[in-house]
Amino acid sequence: MSFGLNRHELSLGQKLWQVNWGIVLILTALACIGFAMLYSAAGGAMEPWAQRQMLRFALGFCIMIVVAVIDIRFWMRWAYVLYAGTLVMLVAVELQGRVGMGAQRWLDFGFVQLQPSELMKIMLVLVLAKHFHSIPLERMGRISAWGPPALLLAVPVALVAKQPDLGTSLMLIMGSAAVAFAAGMRWWKFALAIIGAAAAAPVAWNFLRDYQKERILTFMDPSRDPLGAGYHITQSKIALGSGGLTGKGFLLGTQSHLNFLPEKQTDFIYTMFAEEFGMVGAMTLLALYALLILYGFAIALRASTQFGRLVAVGIVTHLFLSVFINCAMVMGMIPAKGVPLPMISYGGSSMLVTMLGFGLLMMVWVHRDTQFSRGGLQDSD
Amino acid sequence: MSFGTALLRALRSTYTLGGPGKHAVETAHTRLIVTSAFFALAFGAIGVRLADVTLFPHANDTRKARAARPEKLDRADIVDRNGLLVATSIQTASAHANPKEISDPAGVARKLASVLPDIDEKQIRERLAAPERSFVYIRRNVTPRQQYEINRLGIPGIQFQQEDRRLYPQGRLLAHVLGFSDVDSNGLAGVEKGLNERLRAGGEPVALSIDTRIQHILRQELDAAMQKFQAIGAAGIVMDIYTGEVLGMISMPDFDPTNLGGSPDDARFNRITLGVYEMGSTFKIFNTAMALDYGTVSVNGGYDAARPISIGRFTIKDDHPIPRWLSVPEIFMYSSNIGSIKMAQDVGVQGQRAFLDKLGLLTPPKFEVPEIGRPQVPQPWRPINLMTIAFGHGISVSALQMAGAAASVMNGGFYVRPTLIKHEEGAIIQGTRVMSAKTSDTMRKLMRLVVTGGTARKAEVPGYLIGGKTGTAEKIGARGGYRKNANITSLVAGFPMHNPRYLVIAMLDEPKGLKETYNFSTSGWNAAPTGGKIIARIGPLLGVEPYDANAPDVKAALAVDLAGTGPRVAKPTPQATPAAAALQAPPASAPMAVRAPSPQASARPAPLPVSPTGGSNLAAR
Repeated sequence: MSFGLNRHELSLGQKLWQVNWGIVLILTALACIGFAMLYSAAGGAMEPWAQRQMLRFALGFCIMIVVAVIDIRFWMRWAYVLYAGTLVMLVAVELQGRVGMGAQRWLDFGFVQLQPSELMKIMLVLVLAKHFHSIPLERMGRISAWGPPALLLAVPVALVAKQPDLGTSLMLIMGSAAVAFAAGMRWWKFALAIIGAAAAAPVAWNFLRDYQKERILTFMDPSRDPLGAGYHITQSKIALGSGGLTGKGFLLGTQSHLNFLPEKQTDFIYTMFAEEFGMVGAMTLLALYALLILYGFAIALRASTQFGRLVAVGIVTHLFLSVFINCAMVMGMIPAKGVPLPMISYGGSSMLVTMLGFGLLMMVWVHRDTQFSRGGLQDSD
Repeated sequence: MSFGTALLRALRSTYTLGGPGKHAVETAHTRLIVTSAFFALAFGAIGVRLADVTLFPHANDTRKARAARPEKLDRADIVDRNGLLVATSIQTASAHANPKEISDPAGVARKLASVLPDIDEKQIRERLAAPERSFVYIRRNVTPRQQYEINRLGIPGIQFQQEDRRLYPQGRLLAHVLGFSDVDSNGLAGVEKGLNERLRAGGEPVALSIDTRIQHILRQELDAAMQKFQAIGAAGIVMDIYTGEVLGMISMPDFDPTNLGGSPDDARFNRITLGVYEMGSTFKIFNTAMALDYGTVSVNGGYDAARPISIGRFTIKDDHPIPRWLSVPEIFMYSSNIGSIKMAQDVGVQGQRAFLDKLGLLTPPKFEVPEIGRPQVPQPWRPINLMTIAFGHGISVSALQMAGAAASVMNGGFYVRPTLIKHEEGAIIQGTRVMSAKTSDTMRKLMRLVVTGGTARKAEVPGYLIGGKTGTAEKIGARGGYRKNANITSLVAGFPMHNPRYLVIAMLDEPKGLKETYNFSTSGWNAAPTGGKIIARIGPLLGVEPYDANAPDVKAALAVDLAGTGPRVAKPTPQATPAAAALQAPPASAPMAVRAPSPQASARPAPLPVSPTGGSNLAAR
């Protein structure tokens, strides 16, 4: 099929010109906020966090630009291979834990420690987008439409859940659901899945590990665990409240600097930011994320291929999930869960995977008018 | 291309296309808009929540956080009355592991044992092999060196957490006062338990009333006496009779609070607060005060002690019988059981019980350590109990209760609750009037008499005008009945007696008779000299000036007419009603410097016996 308006191939220069520099600017701004907060978390020092985070950002920046200019057909063609490679890494992590080198969620590549489960979020989006790209809307109801994705999803979810990292496996499910929804999966399937999940919850409860049950119970009643997670959330809320409208000022957040706040360089960095820059700062940060998400939706709407559209939706959904879960967690809206704040929390995997994701988003934008067939292996014309 | 144009184009494309392609793109765009609407809603919720937590105070959260402080917060320090550190916390690391992450428990346990020689390898292996657990301790409070060694083993799944470790810089010295706490910083005994909540809250150090120097002297002298008289235990207490502040409290044997396993279990038994004993003759202090205060006999009165008294199948005799009429001072000085019983009989059961209750002898006292013994009180209280209690038998109380009661006899007649917490300077001490000032004044003279001419002569220290009363009680055997030669001997003393300020109790558990004591093991031979030695050393430290016992003023203040007025018929008078009164605390023990006795000091006219508020004059002098 053809929309008849096929573009000629783009040169590298044209592609670079097409890179969405607005997104790059927002990402850089977020990363800079991150550096500043890590500098503050260390009590006003580049070590041990800010400097390393800057190096990671530099690396991630390069990866992002390279990914953005690589042809969209390349990504479509190699999606399954990339997915399989990531799956191998997940299995490797699992085996590593077994052969007695300690349970680790990450693989050490020397310069960076990568969590395959983070990378899997992106790769799952790619394979699902590729799959749904090949399914016309009228065939969405068939088992050939939803069977393979279910399998593609189930394997990594099971592996990640086994680590055990229930949070990330839930995020994998939710991200995939968003892609499937945007691809035109029938409404009633989602309704059925939600009802099924609600019905299965009591059964699933029995399969949860004790500490997972404890987390959920603690969320329901923070006083259950006054010294543990409940305490952290309470302290986080106090720190947020102590920031007030305009905050205490850079490097002046007492709650976080006096170590009342746990994990202030990672999971609770948003709290620290809100304490030092107040509600105004925290809202500004939220607005920056909202702007990124808006950009993502614009790109998805503008993409002329199903593959591009679904990749954009998937990437944006994962950004949204991370931001939402982290913010909601530090404000005590959902159970405590170790999800980093993208671009700001200290951590290599999160930063690199986020920037890889945005590289793909920009890739979709750069190749928004590139046309290809349902197979995706050659141009449609 | 700008964002706006892109959006417009995208929207236009939804209706510029036709056919099945149009339908597909329409669906995709509808779905995108639904998704974005959902995201917008979620962000909106976060924004609202953000405004809620940042702009509106959540007092509830602050309260919750206060109630639930993390272990990281240091347990408060404890200092003595002069600010000397007696308990503090340091941060140490504890090694723990997640068995789920340990795949080779045997190998890991072996490696750990190689760097931690004192752990039980088998036990660690079993702990690590427990798959249903996700947290086990390997070793609490490892040294930095051990932590380094464990890290060097490079075993994944082993981690460290910061913990508090409690240190007691004075070692055993305050063992029974401070008690100890467990590895989780929970007090388990002593002040550590009694004030656990306050200590856990962290912050300012808790200042005890204890003076470490006095504590040290008390321990040294009691330890020496315990060795000398081959006693199985010893105990002592030094207290300010006006404020109730305990300046020293020792129970021997004691324990090392940082190495509890190294001491026998009975070393943790607090003989001052937990042990209740039949105190014997020291109870005659209260018996005599009671009779004088009810007015059933005057200080010039007396009783016929010529014949022993029969109670059922028992006959009560005097240890040093003086078969004639004895005046009240003589009954007290010679510790006559017969005279004491007759005094009590004139007061009666109701009066006796009411009086002892006022002195806090019938109920467990409130104190800052949780190890409090419940007094053994006769139930019901029969005339026979009336008689035995008159000379301190048939009722068991703790030394702490004795201290509180004896202080009120000496301080002008106010009951002040003994405490281990330092009073702020100028604090108002709540006291309850339990007897008249006149009774208290008379009792001072009588107690002085016991030291100058009675059973406590060996407690005398020139210059300190000690007054007191000895007591020897036979311990109750395992099969009931009293054990001969297994005694609790004690001295209850105050000084300087014409205007007393401090109380000292010295107790020995099963002292043996020595050659130099002519094989006597009664209190006059052991507890009395021990008490004297303690006072001789703490007197200068407490800033008590020596007085010349022969100075006319002192003599006048302590003069007692031994002869009495002969037999008379006593007439009961209405008892004095207890009245609440506020005592001004003497301005702390400001003059703490050790002062050598000077001739001027002894020549200076001594102050006359004072009312309770006169306590402040003492220190101001």
